[in-house]
Amino acid sequence: MSKLTTSFMTAALLFSFGPPCARPQEAVSPGWKFPVEEYRLRNGLRVVLSEDGSFPLVSVAVVYGAGSIREQRGQIGLALLMENLMFQGSENVSPLQHVNFVQRTGGVLNANTTLDKAAYYETLPSNQLALALWLESDRMRSLQIIPGAIERKKEELLDEYRRRLATEPYMESYAVFDTFLYPDFPHGHPLIGTGEDLKKLTEADVKAFYASYYLPGNAVLSIVGDIQIARTKELVARYFDSVPAGNLVPSPPLPQFEQDREVVRSLKEMLFPTPGFHLGYRLSPLQTGDIYTLRILEYVLFRGRTSRVGTRILKKDLTAYYMNAELEERPGGPALKIFALNNNEVMAERCQKAIVSEIDKLKVGVVSEDELDKAKNLFKLDYLRRLASRVDRALYLAEAAFEDVPVQALASQLEQHMRVNPQAMNSLVNRLFVPRNKVVLNVRVR
Amino acid sequence: MKRPSRLKIRCVLSGVAIVLAGALTPAAAGQERFRRTPPLPDSFRELKLPEITSIPLPNGLTLSVTPRPGSPLVTVQIVILAGERDSPQNLQHVATLTARMIGRGTREFSADDVENMIESMGGDFSVTVFMDYTVLTFHVLAEHLGRALDVLRLMVLAPEFKDQEVSTVKRVYSYELRELEKNPVLTGRRQLLRVLFEGHPYQASTSSWDVIKYITPKDLQAFYTRYYAPNNAVFVVSGDVDGPAVAREVGRRFNSWVRRSVERPPLPPPPVNSKERICFVDQPTSEDAVIFVGNLVMSPASPDYFPFLVLNQVVGGTMNSRLFMNLRESKGYAYEAFSEAEFFGTCGVFCASAKVTSETIHAAVQEIIKEFQGLASEKFRPAEIEEAKSFLVGNLPLRFETLQGYAARLAQVVALGLDAGHWKRITDSLMLVNVENVLEAAQKYLPAVPVVVIVGNRQWAAEALKDFNLVEVYDSTGALKTNLRQGVEK
Repeated sequence: MSKLTTSFMTAALLFSFGPPCARPQEAVSPGWKFPVEEYRLRNGLRVVLSEDGSFPLVSVAVVYGAGSIREQRGQIGLALLMENLMFQGSENVSPLQHVNFVQRTGGVLNANTTLDKAAYYETLPSNQLALALWLESDRMRSLQIIPGAIERKKEELLDEYRRRLATEPYMESYAVFDTFLYPDFPHGHPLIGTGEDLKKLTEADVKAFYASYYLPGNAVLSIVGDIQIARTKELVARYFDSVPAGNLVPSPPLPQFEQDREVVRSLKEMLFPTPGFHLGYRLSPLQTGDIYTLRILEYVLFRGRTSRVGTRILKKDLTAYYMNAELEERPGGPALKIFALNNNEVMAERCQKAIVSEIDKLKVGVVSEDELDKAKNLFKLDYLRRLASRVDRALYLAEAAFEDVPVQALASQLEQHMRVNPQAMNSLVNRLFVPRNKVVLNVRVR
Repeated sequence: MKRPSRLKIRCVLSGVAIVLAGALTPAAAGQERFRRTPPLPDSFRELKLPEITSIPLPNGLTLSVTPRPGSPLVTVQIVILAGERDSPQNLQHVATLTARMIGRGTREFSADDVENMIESMGGDFSVTVFMDYTVLTFHVLAEHLGRALDVLRLMVLAPEFKDQEVSTVKRVYSYELRELEKNPVLTGRRQLLRVLFEGHPYQASTSSWDVIKYITPKDLQAFYTRYYAPNNAVFVVSGDVDGPAVAREVGRRFNSWVRRSVERPPLPPPPVNSKERICFVDQPTSEDAVIFVGNLVMSPASPDYFPFLVLNQVVGGTMNSRLFMNLRESKGYAYEAFSEAEFFGTCGVFCASAKVTSETIHAAVQEIIKEFQGLASEKFRPAEIEEAKSFLVGNLPLRFETLQGYAARLAQVVALGLDAGHWKRITDSLMLVNVENVLEAAQKYLPAVPVVVIVGNRQWAAEALKDFNLVEVYDSTGALKTNLRQGVEK
């Protein structure tokens, strides 16, 4: 999932005291200049419209609350399989024709599945809006689930997984690390796993998943671009009003995380080219404004070419030759996840200590205003750059609507980040970056 | 012939299954009539690009400004009219390394200082070196444009080529090129260009990483001195900016950039390949084979350019195009098959590519060549041409939507001196293409004997290589290892 769509939701939630269905609103701020209108159809489908006529394009995103968190034990891979089957034809669209219809117009499309959502999105010339709505509504109401297609897609997913594993040997350690960082099954299991569950999935499993979660009441339709609001509403009503509502979808479970001390584990049984480690912090419970501070903290420590940790371990100490860090925002609280690769185990140990020491420095001292401004400016650049794309904006709005964030909250998002101060950062690091929130997985060479 | 396992379920069978399944679906009878067929589009709205305003500065620097009203970000690009083709002979990659040294320290500031200055203002600086030109790109928050110009001035006008920084840049670039050689698609494409550009300065960009170790800071300094001059550069600004005001700001900072004589004689295009050549690149880790079949075509300034874009679309632009439908859907030879056209200052390269198994290598190559020959001799269906044009016109706004896409195209237009038909009137240029133009382009460019490049594991491809008369075998760095005549080493 793109960074934009995973970001900002929790923050907005913390400040979303307005009614869940605040409707036609104009949200204007230095970062968000786009009018947004939101409403709900009788079948429960939430619709978000945002007009931007600067290019003759329209992006349509349909996001379902149907990620891997909905899978039961023994069903790992079902959400991803479902995503693939959504391109295998519906009542009026034959297999793969969804792709062909969009591509014929010069449009592009994609889909992805995460922990809590499955998102389908396309960008087309704006005069083809009706086509996108026709296609999306057809697979929302009448997906054709055929045993042959299920078996073929399972085979393709497993094949792709095996190929990726051959070229990305650390993919497995990422999955193992998640099971330590998120010990409860719904949150910690991988999208595909070893593939053993996937192989056993049946037509009945797929049909039940589709019938339970691919429902208008569990989805958001987001349309951004060169649209006329009245005409768009007409088209949305035409194609989606008669999609049956289906049963009520329960909220997904919240994550459980209770440990009284730091957890350190090692992984030796897999073949890795060089040693490395995963280091993570579960960052909860959050207080008001914490999420903004965390996002700026991520930039202070890890983002850009001059971040504290990057400079220390990749340029000065040279204890790592690769590092990746991200603030992962999930329902139930974010986590900071760091992965580093090192030339040997001594270096791995030193690198880990260096990262922790850089975090600890923020506990005893405050970050300077200049450094904070740099982090904020980099954050702002990324934020604005992502909003330049209609499809990213559509996904962002879909997520916001999904989380019942009022559109007024969008206007102040950037400003909230710009208000983060050094004291807040110091306080947050002392509160959340503590041993009981820390998980380490050392990756060793066998 | 054995077909790729992943293709065993065929569209026809799936279609039958769908029809049967549809007939049994209760909803089929009850659905609204409008759901049965795709809706018609609304009236088409054309992409409107802003004018490029060019303002010459006294030292020979040209400033080009395009407005992007409402954009909170500004993109500043300095296009240097020298690219990888200008690297000295036997010192390939000098153009790239020189560009990468911009920002790696100046006479007054270290590389870390410069990086800090860039990031402090919310800036993002990158360099891209093409065959004919180099682009230094600076995306920055609009409120910091003045600061960005200050830093850019330092970086471009007073770079230092310190040993330590040059070593770091060389190490990183070598690593990137070695990584590239693990990728069969990139390796294959590079080998195709290497063969097509044999004996031509364009071949410089296709060299392997091993020559980098011979490059010294002096070489980079010399390249910089020779080509980084205001009269050999275009300064491009796009964003919510006022042209005359930007011209003043740029002029104030860059008027000390001293004009000097730059000798860069016009380059003739490389000759079209006319000899049958089958090149095999041995990549022991490959699981499948990747095929490239291609040759040289016209430059983007040619009147055949837009008809050829439409032709490329018909041949292999998408999954609906001829190659995909033939090689994958009809014959089952390939997992995927597409075509692409890449353009440089003096020529273009057109090629088909396909991912296949070892058993289908020969058949797929033959089929691609047959497709090319067929295109040059048959009449195109008007509907096919209109569909291809519709795709290209519909896809245009997507190419310009992002800041990066917009800036890259703008840089290409100013660097290659392309006319308004490539920018403001680009939709018209495509719409004017007709069946006759496309046929003419096909007849002019497709009959030439293409170069064939196959990337795969030599061990498992050994049987397949016997089907070809003469095969040149290379390693992934591009070094010729041996020649095979019907599979046997000569």
